[in-house]
Amino acid sequence: MADLEATYSAFAAERGLELVPAVGIGQLTPLLVESTVGGQLAPAARGRISAELDGIVGQLAYKRNKTFRFTVALTRVLSSTPFVPRLFCIRQGRSTRDDEFYGFEARHSKLWTESEKLNDRFTISTSPYQDANWMRQLFSPALVDWLANEPPADFSFELAYGALLGSIEEDAPGPDQLAALCDATAHVAARIARECGE
Amino acid sequence: MQINRTGIWLIGFFGVAGLAMCLVPLALGADAEVALIIGSTGAIWFLVAMGLVWYARHNQKKAAHNDWIFQNGIRGTATVLDAGSHATVNELPLMKLTLDLDIPGVGRREATRREVMPVFTANRMEQGLVLPAYANPEDPGDFILVW
Repeated sequence: MADLEATYSAFAAERGLELVPAVGIGQLTPLLVESTVGGQLAPAARGRISAELDGIVGQLAYKRNKTFRFTVALTRVLSSTPFVPRLFCIRQGRSTRDDEFYGFEARHSKLWTESEKLNDRFTISTSPYQDANWMRQLFSPALVDWLANEPPADFSFELAYGALLGSIEEDAPGPDQLAALCDATAHVAARIARECGE
Repeated sequence: MQINRTGIWLIGFFGVAGLAMCLVPLALGADAEVALIIGSTGAIWFLVAMGLVWYARHNQKKAAHNDWIFQNGIRGTATVLDAGSHATVNELPLMKLTLDLDIPGVGRREATRREVMPVFTANRMEQGLVLPAYANPEDPGDFILVW
């Protein structure tokens, strides 16, 4: 834990962030709903987490049959709600709550893309009544190629009503992993915001 | 609501095991009292499986109807006027929403809607939230809410 705090302290100092021992960010996305203490990050750092993006980065505990720990970065893409209320891009193989909801769950649609590499790497789902044409424009060849090749290997993201949560499955991330998570989340946020603005 | 892999597994398990509990004791010539006890339990299991099949098919039909409205309906907006929940289904809140429904060519009117929603969605159903809505062109009272 001391190492983790030292890592966050160093990362906060490097990027000019405010270090906070613990902070509740609310149950904004499915991963945050499942967190051990409703959406609490400890430790965390907030401020300008990437070049042009404000947000918060921290450690999240998630309890199922055992406790999992994720490193998450939360930011806002407020303009996204009218276009895409919810969009989840989850690493293949990550255990998620939706596979154990007693047999029935809220309806959603799984997206399919022509990129085999993207399909091998992620499961992408959204609202069942999502404008398919808009989604095709969002998942441009450039974004598909970036998602398939560039983010950290265990990166996933959840967009829900303007809250964008990037995450990696790291108990004790190093400064490079924190930086990679923040930059990957910023890249996704910028892409969504740009498509909403067009 | 939609059935998932766990639901298919549950239907398969209760259906097959229930049927087996009804038939196997008879086939093996078990004592009548034993066959009745095991068979009764099996019948309940089988009925549970059939109930789940009915519920899944009902939701499938409803989803197909909603998909039709999405494809052919008139796009408008629904502003949340009030939201609350007093019940859950499979740990998901059953939300009661009061909406200001604005459909072009039809006009504005107040409507209520009950929806089973994930927790993170239910938490965001606040007064003033504007969501897309699609109305059935043949019956504007029939609409879907995009959340």
